[in-house]
Amino acid sequence: MNRFRILLQNIKRGVVTEKYPLEPIRVPESFRGKPVIDVDKCVGCGACVNACPPNALTLEEDLNEGIRYIKLFIGRCIYCGRCEEVCPFDAIHLTKEFELATTSKDDLYQIVGLRMYKCPICGKPYTTIRLVKKVIDKLPPEERSLVLICPDCREKITAANRSFARR
Amino acid sequence: MQQFSDSKIGDLLKKLGVFGTTSIVTPNTILINNVDDKLYDLCRLLIEELDAYYSTSIGVDERPLNGSFAVYHVFVADKLGLYILVRLEASPSHPIVKSITPIIPGADWAEREVMDMIGVKFAGHPRPYRLILPYDWPSNIYPLRKDFDYNDKYPIKDKIDKVIHGSTEYVVDKEVLEEEYTAVPIGPYHPALHEPEYFEVYVDGEKIVDARYKGFFIHRGIEKIAETRLTYDQVPFIAERICGICGFTHSTAYCLAVENAAGINVPERANYIRSILLEIERIHSHLLWMGVAFHLLGYDTGFMIMWRIREKIMDLAEELTGNRKTYGANIVGGIRKRFDISEEKIPYIKRLLNSVKEEYLKYIDKIVSMTEIRKRTREVGILTHEDAKKYSVLGPHARASGINTDVRKYRPYAAYSEVDFKVPVRDEGDVYARIIVRHEEVLESISIISQLLDNLPKTPLRAEFDFIPEKRIGIGCTEAPRGEDLHFVITGYGNKVYRWRPRAPSYNNLASVPLMLRGEKLADAPIIIASIDPCFSCTDHVVVIDIKTGRRRKLVSR
Repeated sequence: MNRFRILLQNIKRGVVTEKYPLEPIRVPESFRGKPVIDVDKCVGCGACVNACPPNALTLEEDLNEGIRYIKLFIGRCIYCGRCEEVCPFDAIHLTKEFELATTSKDDLYQIVGLRMYKCPICGKPYTTIRLVKKVIDKLPPEERSLVLICPDCREKITAANRSFARR
Repeated sequence: MQQFSDSKIGDLLKKLGVFGTTSIVTPNTILINNVDDKLYDLCRLLIEELDAYYSTSIGVDERPLNGSFAVYHVFVADKLGLYILVRLEASPSHPIVKSITPIIPGADWAEREVMDMIGVKFAGHPRPYRLILPYDWPSNIYPLRKDFDYNDKYPIKDKIDKVIHGSTEYVVDKEVLEEEYTAVPIGPYHPALHEPEYFEVYVDGEKIVDARYKGFFIHRGIEKIAETRLTYDQVPFIAERICGICGFTHSTAYCLAVENAAGINVPERANYIRSILLEIERIHSHLLWMGVAFHLLGYDTGFMIMWRIREKIMDLAEELTGNRKTYGANIVGGIRKRFDISEEKIPYIKRLLNSVKEEYLKYIDKIVSMTEIRKRTREVGILTHEDAKKYSVLGPHARASGINTDVRKYRPYAAYSEVDFKVPVRDEGDVYARIIVRHEEVLESISIISQLLDNLPKTPLRAEFDFIPEKRIGIGCTEAPRGEDLHFVITGYGNKVYRWRPRAPSYNNLASVPLMLRGEKLADAPIIIASIDPCFSCTDHVVVIDIKTGRRRKLVSR
């Protein structure tokens, strides 16, 4: 008898499946889809690169050209959203886009190239111009001069100052 | 150790003369050192007097820390809510320790895993065969030693080392089996669970005489990746990918282990949200299993109905976390910010859970009272209470055999100490009992979620802490849908774990399957195997399938 009751209930219920992909499907507000880098906001600090569990985000530097690249490869992405969480400048966001199938691997890359700032003493590029600008604004004026020097040169200068003071 | 001085465990340790070498590593974990020749007495007393059960063994290459190999046997004293670690040391030149398999059969696999991965030999092990590594792996290279780099590659040799490979024992002599009975292979892919495993079932006509299990086809060494490449905060994401069904419980267990080791107090709200997500995962897992079970019994309407109800739970998970599975909410110290449950969502969740409960009850009673379902599951695949204890089986599988065990109840983690629920236990030990236990657990889980939602406290989501201290041991334990899920962590240097070992419940449960198969009809084999809700990937702790070794296996068949 149970069998017929279940049958009746099912007939009453009707179709429960959705017609996707013929019709678009709704995704919830909190959906975690394809991450997108906001090129205008990214300063190339690399916080996302440190946090990314599967190494989908990588940081590469071309020291001859003086350009730092932040590369996002969606093929490795696990859509955890750690990058969005750690970004200090709100420059990467997960979107609701999830239909990412493609015939070309290039479609899966997002590359941001940022011009690097050269150390005035040794001439080596060590960080991006955008990051320097952001940091400078937040520092008191007397400390600004040291930030504009690369870590290696800064170390030398501090060491020299120390030994001078000791004398 | 003073606090244990007058207790039962203190007396026991004093009797054996190891009280002085015992230390407390975290409030709920004690570590016994220098056991030497008292090992068997200690194990026996722990099991008989403290009512503890053996959980797992972990091998650690501690040469960079203190110059020797170490093996940790984990015993769980459920009544005391205590983890007892027995540490055995092995010298780097002759790494041999005494095996406990002769007195505790459940230690068989765990000890062989240590032999394969760390290279510590166990004297007196009855079947010291290779368990995890593939046939073509060189016999003197141990991948979890610290001098083995994660990207080291070894040439696969043309001539294969003579290693004996096999997972479970034969009861009937192997030669007799192969001569007189017909071997029926089930696998290397399970017909319904779509995961690689291999059961060799020997039959006499319709009746199963003996069975053997072989697994670990998909071991890919995520422990090594975690120990060498990932930081503390990255490991939860790979831990979550151990299992496609109960991943969140793995990442919670990992986080609990690190938090215990470092002494981090997780804020209340994070605990509540963890519990809510864990229960959502349990409901979806049980409904999925019921669907598969009905499908295997040939009742596909039941399968469709269960999965249709489950779809609502998946929608709920998606609404709360942004994903149907692999929620990714856990992080060491609490829950990530975007996974907070806002006030506006609470009525929606309650409404949805009510409709799920209503629909579920409408169907499930009719389904389980059907004559065909009862006839196919009652008194089929029986695991007696004694056998269940002997093999230390866990979770719903143990509860269906009359063992009252539940990590949530007896060693509460997350927010389970705040809620009221009962642990369903049945005595029959057959497939039907396992269906009913899971059925009752679904209802309990729905009630747990609504209790938690009513009292959601307002605290921060993540604990603040400076750094994680080095060389600390931590154990994290959760009740996965399939049973106790245990993660063992030793913290290390440079924001990395030194050793991490997950032990999924199916690791213990699978060993009991050949036992249940013996004497049953061949047609019942699929449902008996599925009745423990086996999770092969969990057991092998892995992500991807290695087709290459699978193929080579055939070339060197027994």
